[in-house]
Amino acid sequence: MSENDTSMEGMDPAFWRGLTQQRLSRRNVMKAAGLGAGASMLSLAGVDAAMGASLPNANVGTAKWWAKQKLHHKVNFANWPLYIDVLAGKHLSLEHFTQTTGIKVNYLEAVQDNASFYAKIRPSLAAGQGTGYDIVVLTNNNPQLGYLLELGWAIPLDHKLMTNFNKYAGPLVKNPSWDPGNKYTMAWQSGWTAIGYNSQVIKNPGDSIQMLFDKKYKGQVGMLSDPFELGTAGLLAIGVEPDKSTEKDWVKAAKKLHQQKSDGIVVAYYDQSYIAHLKNGDINIAQAYSGDIFQANLSTKYKKLKLLLPKEGAMLWTDNMVIPLYAQNPLDAMKLMDFAYNPMTQAVIEYYNDYICPVPAAKQQLLHPTGWDAAALHKLAPEIGLPTSVTANSPIVFPNAASVKITKNYYQFKNQEEINAWNSLFLPITQGA
Amino acid sequence: MEQPVPADHPGRLSEPRRRASFGKTVAPYLLSLPAGVWLALLFIVPLGAMLIQSLETCSPASGACVMTWRWGELPSVVNLYHTQFLTSLYFAAIATVVDLVISFPIAYWIAFRGGRRKNFFLLMLLVPFFVSFIIRTVVWEFVLSNNGVVLHTLKNLHLLPQGFHVLGTGFAVIAGLAYNYLPFTALPLYVALERIDHRVLEAAYDLYATRRVGFTRVILPLTVPGIYAAFLLTFIPAFGDYVNQQILGGTANTMIGTVIQNEYTSAGDYASGASLSLVLLAISLVGIFLYARVLGSRTIEQYL
Repeated sequence: MSENDTSMEGMDPAFWRGLTQQRLSRRNVMKAAGLGAGASMLSLAGVDAAMGASLPNANVGTAKWWAKQKLHHKVNFANWPLYIDVLAGKHLSLEHFTQTTGIKVNYLEAVQDNASFYAKIRPSLAAGQGTGYDIVVLTNNNPQLGYLLELGWAIPLDHKLMTNFNKYAGPLVKNPSWDPGNKYTMAWQSGWTAIGYNSQVIKNPGDSIQMLFDKKYKGQVGMLSDPFELGTAGLLAIGVEPDKSTEKDWVKAAKKLHQQKSDGIVVAYYDQSYIAHLKNGDINIAQAYSGDIFQANLSTKYKKLKLLLPKEGAMLWTDNMVIPLYAQNPLDAMKLMDFAYNPMTQAVIEYYNDYICPVPAAKQQLLHPTGWDAAALHKLAPEIGLPTSVTANSPIVFPNAASVKITKNYYQFKNQEEINAWNSLFLPITQGA
Repeated sequence: MEQPVPADHPGRLSEPRRRASFGKTVAPYLLSLPAGVWLALLFIVPLGAMLIQSLETCSPASGACVMTWRWGELPSVVNLYHTQFLTSLYFAAIATVVDLVISFPIAYWIAFRGGRRKNFFLLMLLVPFFVSFIIRTVVWEFVLSNNGVVLHTLKNLHLLPQGFHVLGTGFAVIAGLAYNYLPFTALPLYVALERIDHRVLEAAYDLYATRRVGFTRVILPLTVPGIYAAFLLTFIPAFGDYVNQQILGGTANTMIGTVIQNEYTSAGDYASGASLSLVLLAISLVGIFLYARVLGSRTIEQYL
């Protein structure tokens, strides 16, 4: 494969934009909420309006407000598990950040799934109190990120402090459809939801999502409990493009998933814990996040786990860093978020992570590190057991034309009623009797 | 002129007497005030809040709720989740019966044969409780996993077929429930058995009762309130349990506790969660009232 093929820089930015922006923006979704609400049921947007849930403080996040903020030399960062470089329990990238800025990072793997994490921080925010976190990471394929932005529960970012981001952010994460102009968010990583399987047991996986629905694998399959992930897998299985699907398709997809369950194919519906069950053999096939499989491969014990990007489509999502309202250390948070966009930082994180890198220039740093990252990559090397060039040339980390081609987008909800309709179809599957 | 009224005439004394009887009527209420306040604060108020919540419409975004008097929520959740209610009833009932069968001999042995070391044996029964029950359940998950110590070994010895699994089955959930709630059954049974006057039993034997008749005609009737208390103490928490199902269960055996937990913590739909909780509570209360009617409320407090 030529150098150009494997790099994101080599790709027309318009390609990514086409991928990410053909959909309705999530903010429009929220604005449209309430239209067409049933006569008997109060529109949910109406509930928020009735409760006076206007922007809590219009002043927050303005240039004037940011000018008044001071560094507190600490930041509380709530991220998903296994999402940053780890060496003997320490994060080299964050340690470098602390050394150079004097800001201590309290890095917490607090987010197991969008809905339950949002349910945890929501009561505090609704009561006008801090969540205890300065940065939280939420995914664009779930409604919760949209809720946070629409309710004014996120602090607008200070674009003056986004020098690295402005310089290095790739087309995939710059000005995304769910947050135009990156007013509130910066991507942490993107990734694919695809299929993970145990190659020791599954010898001929094929190339299709139908693998998840094959009776041959009865009692061996794990699905994600996230209704948006689950429903999307159902849509792919019935041959429908998720982002072009209609409610009729959803009904059919739900039927397919019910069948999958009643056939005894599904062992359980998991949150992030699916990877542990895949590792210990409770399941042999699972809906899986791309990076999780590669991280599992770092241990020789789990080399048997493989990722399959099904021909029907690998679902692209992006996890976004947000500063929740009432955060105690917003300036420290800004510094850390921009630090993540230094190509050296991304090189170190990506060497461990293997998700889709938001900074294309990190590729060069992986091949020819020029700064502090050289020492960090060197230290990580024995742990990873692969040269940095493997990460740099991976089409999964720096997508190439082929991996972009297989990428599909999630359905963008137009209003809360659609979200409710989706939930009422797919939630009962995960908690059926 | 009026006739003088004798001192002990009721009419004359009616005033102070009424005062005394007023005090008498009020006294029990005053005395039970702490308990009443306790009950109101910790039961009636949350119950009312739950009822109110079940009638509201909430925003999944902000969680803000407005009262919309949606009485339809109750029947609709029952309709939607009746199978999960039935699964819970079924699992909890089996687990309770299993616990009664297992813990009766244990309690009997400690009460009648424990001798001076009764307290030690009771402590042994409670020792597992020193560890959080979530941790104990997760350890079971670890032990019973497909490639865990037990199943892996048995499969390698060809004592079990390769596809055999325990996790994810209804059996695993019932076993988990029975395991976790065993002391709740054993202790009330022990209390009931321990109270039996041995002389009553001896009298039965003196009257030519066989061991079996002694058991069925003397011991068992005297333990009935304990059995009932044990049943309630095990069945009610097991009925609403969600931990065992989530850790040990699979896709086809969701219990109502799991649904309620998901409604609150994942779906953020407080109204549905509250409605389901109300139905759960109503079913549990029926059990308690039946108990009170059959055995009288006084016997409850002796064993709880």
